[in-house]
Amino acid sequence: MIAVIICLLIMLGLQVLTPFWWWIMIVPFAYGVAAARSGARALSIGFISAGLLWLGSCLYFYFTGSRIIAGRISRMIGLGKPGLVILAASLVAALAAAISGYAGYAVQKLFHKSGSKA
Amino acid sequence: MKWARVVVSLLFAAAIFWALDNRHGVVPAFGKFLNPFAGFWQNGTRGDKLPAELSVPGLRAEVKVVWDSRHVPHIFAENDHDLNMAQGYIAASLRLWQMEFQVMYAGGRLSEVVGPTALQLDRFHRRFGMVWAAENAAAETGQDPQTREAAQAYTAGVNAYLSGLKRKDFPVEYKILDYGPEPWTDFKSSLLLKYMAYMLCGNSSDADWTRLRQALGEAAAEALFPYYPPLVDPVIPPGTPLDFKPVPVPQPPSKATPGMGGAPGQWPSATLGPAGFALPGQLEHGLGSNNWAVSGKLTRSGFPILCNDMHLGLTLPMIWFEVQLSAPGVNVRGVALPGSPGVVVGYTEKAAWGFTNGTDDVVDWYAVKFKDASRREYLDQGQWKPTWIREEPIKVRGSQAVVDRVVYTHLGPVFRLEGEPASQEADVPPDTAVRWVGHDPSNEFKTLLMLDRARNYDDYLAALKFWDCPSQNFVYADSEGNIAIWHNGKFPLRWKGQGRYILDGGNPADAWQGWIPHAHNPHVKNPARGFVSSANQMHAGASYPYYLGSDYASYERGARINEILAASKDITPEDMIRMQGDVLNIRARALVPRLMELLKEAASSATEKLALEELRAWNFECRARFIAPSIFERWWRELNVLTWNDEKKGDMTRMPWPSSQVMIDLILNHPDSVYFDDKGTPEHETLAEIALKAFRAACQGLEKDFGPWGESWTWGKVKGTRIDHLGRIPGLGWDRLEADGTSVTIDAIARAWAPSWRMVVATGPEMKAWGIYPGGQSGNPGSAYYDNSVLDWAVDKPYELIFLKSADEQNPGIAARTIMRGAK
Repeated sequence: MIAVIICLLIMLGLQVLTPFWWWIMIVPFAYGVAAARSGARALSIGFISAGLLWLGSCLYFYFTGSRIIAGRISRMIGLGKPGLVILAASLVAALAAAISGYAGYAVQKLFHKSGSKA
Repeated sequence: MKWARVVVSLLFAAAIFWALDNRHGVVPAFGKFLNPFAGFWQNGTRGDKLPAELSVPGLRAEVKVVWDSRHVPHIFAENDHDLNMAQGYIAASLRLWQMEFQVMYAGGRLSEVVGPTALQLDRFHRRFGMVWAAENAAAETGQDPQTREAAQAYTAGVNAYLSGLKRKDFPVEYKILDYGPEPWTDFKSSLLLKYMAYMLCGNSSDADWTRLRQALGEAAAEALFPYYPPLVDPVIPPGTPLDFKPVPVPQPPSKATPGMGGAPGQWPSATLGPAGFALPGQLEHGLGSNNWAVSGKLTRSGFPILCNDMHLGLTLPMIWFEVQLSAPGVNVRGVALPGSPGVVVGYTEKAAWGFTNGTDDVVDWYAVKFKDASRREYLDQGQWKPTWIREEPIKVRGSQAVVDRVVYTHLGPVFRLEGEPASQEADVPPDTAVRWVGHDPSNEFKTLLMLDRARNYDDYLAALKFWDCPSQNFVYADSEGNIAIWHNGKFPLRWKGQGRYILDGGNPADAWQGWIPHAHNPHVKNPARGFVSSANQMHAGASYPYYLGSDYASYERGARINEILAASKDITPEDMIRMQGDVLNIRARALVPRLMELLKEAASSATEKLALEELRAWNFECRARFIAPSIFERWWRELNVLTWNDEKKGDMTRMPWPSSQVMIDLILNHPDSVYFDDKGTPEHETLAEIALKAFRAACQGLEKDFGPWGESWTWGKVKGTRIDHLGRIPGLGWDRLEADGTSVTIDAIARAWAPSWRMVVATGPEMKAWGIYPGGQSGNPGSAYYDNSVLDWAVDKPYELIFLKSADEQNPGIAARTIMRGAK
């Protein structure tokens, strides 16, 4: 839980300060390399923290002025409803972060001969 | 194993990263695009909040911007430089993507953004000489201190906005297409005007008509496409005396001029098969604009009223944005083009003006004879002369750049080379050069800046002298009581019919041999009838001494405007607003009774009987809720199909349809015309038989396309008006809008073409005006001001325009104020 919060806050700070989306891959990767205790944990921490971050942020922006644009984009990409775009965005972030976190853990394992639970 | 796991997981992560960080065809770069902190989520209504203060480096003094409740900026500056700079800054803040996209389109650079799919279109614009034309115009603009300084200040304003723009605030289209804005230049403003000029007068029927003349003969060509069509009420009232002494007009060449390249009679050459003619859609007649002004003799106030509605392609964002510009010596209100300084159409404290397209033939095509395949030399006046090459590098996203080596002669660029496929945009034979007035150096900005400062007729007339292309009907009214209209532009001095068909590039008699003096352009001031008007129809009657073209809009809108105004007195602005919404179809009024008479009681099916009843009860108004306009429109189309398509002969791949007034004249006055006979059958068909056949085909066609008789047949649904996004991005436009009107009614809302800015100006001691365009001030699809005027526009409910005397004036319509200051 703490790992989720820490990852989420770091990603939040970096995303607010810079225009780059890929912090949601870099941070879970770094967590995977430096602190994850298992592959499953690296994967799930990335999934939950990035997914929650984008879900919460999308909802925040949706309710504070992005309702019109979300409606238009949902029609543009064929999803029909803004709620599905919010879900899709969260899922994209969660999956990208999960895979990245797992890759980070795999790198960690390369340099540590023991301790793997994955 | 461990290595394998590392490699596989890293590769997988990298693949995901790459997939999300790059655009794939039409699929956006989803990582960037969906990112809540910098992706499309940032393009919401938060951007609609107006800042109280702005720092704009380069401003010389404080600029006050008053925003009204529709997000219209009223800009008050202390000097012209700051006025233009502030306009550039604000235009960019509202419409940045549109500004840049339009000039990338015009300049043949879309491939840089969308990839190889745009290459053909880009090549077309390069071949047509759009960039060359804009370079010539920019050089001319730079020669004049007033326009040079205006363009430079405007550019500085756009770039000041860009310099403070964060990636997360990029317009959403950049995010969808995954690219970013680049600095604005004066050249781009020139390119924008060339984009407008091409749109309004870059097309021509020369190639179509050349084929037609060759297949059917000159007499038939001139009968079907007459120089002076029946029914037309020209822009300049017949009988208006000339106030100039005409200059001599050149003589046409003899038919057979030996030794010259590609005489038009021999075209198309034997090497050009039918595959060489990939044809565009049918020639469209009836699309255009309206403007009129009534003198104080006819108005309740005793002062003139001016009206204008310019018909253009429907897009979101719309081509115009509203603005008021005020500085010492200027106070003007109207609409501007995002990307160009000044107001284009509007009014000052004393005068008002508006445009309709002149629709003259200012593009001529010339067959060029080259010495050999190298195309280094071409034949001109019996001598081989060198060509020159202009290299047009076209960057292509995701692919190698292409360099198009465009061959130029003294006439202009050679549009299509032997062996190249025909262009969908201009279906001309190979080795044909294009001569366009728009290619020549000109400074239309000067006209706009002078009109923005016009206080009387002399100011207006002085401004018009700088306007070359596109030719326009400039309508005018002022608070001194004057009304006028000038059919204005730069016109080559030509023999009658010169440029109607493809010309011989080697024959000096076919070349442009001078210009019609500006004072000889068709014009009228304060005519006795008390009004002036235009609707893209023929500019003047046969007594006008010069040839300007022969492919003008059909008569309906112009005739309807004139019949209403001729019967009006005690006119109020409300009357004029109502008139802009007039949807009476006079084509139908002229034809339906006669066609019904021809049908007699021949309707057989239940649907046909219903359709006849509907037409019998019709008041000829094209209302969205009526079914009769749907039946008539389809019937008209089928009548034309059955009358004209069988006339196709020789190398023609289609038969261009004559304009509606020729067809109406045939039906009403020449029912025995040979054209009604279907050449594909051994029998001799009569007009009555063709009319019945067309009526049945219309009913069947509507049933096929819209189901059984009922609600789905109503005109609003059948017409299917839509407003697409400028970049055709799905979801960012209006897919369906049910509105009254058709292309031949005054309220000319067609399917994708309609009044782009309706304006009514009541002149007088205090100018009052109303206006509306389909869209909104913001170019941001996520803004509340993106399309907020569309529904009011569709039912013709214009807004009263706020026109302030000073920045401190109080008005209940004011929503916010911004102070712009230069950086210290």
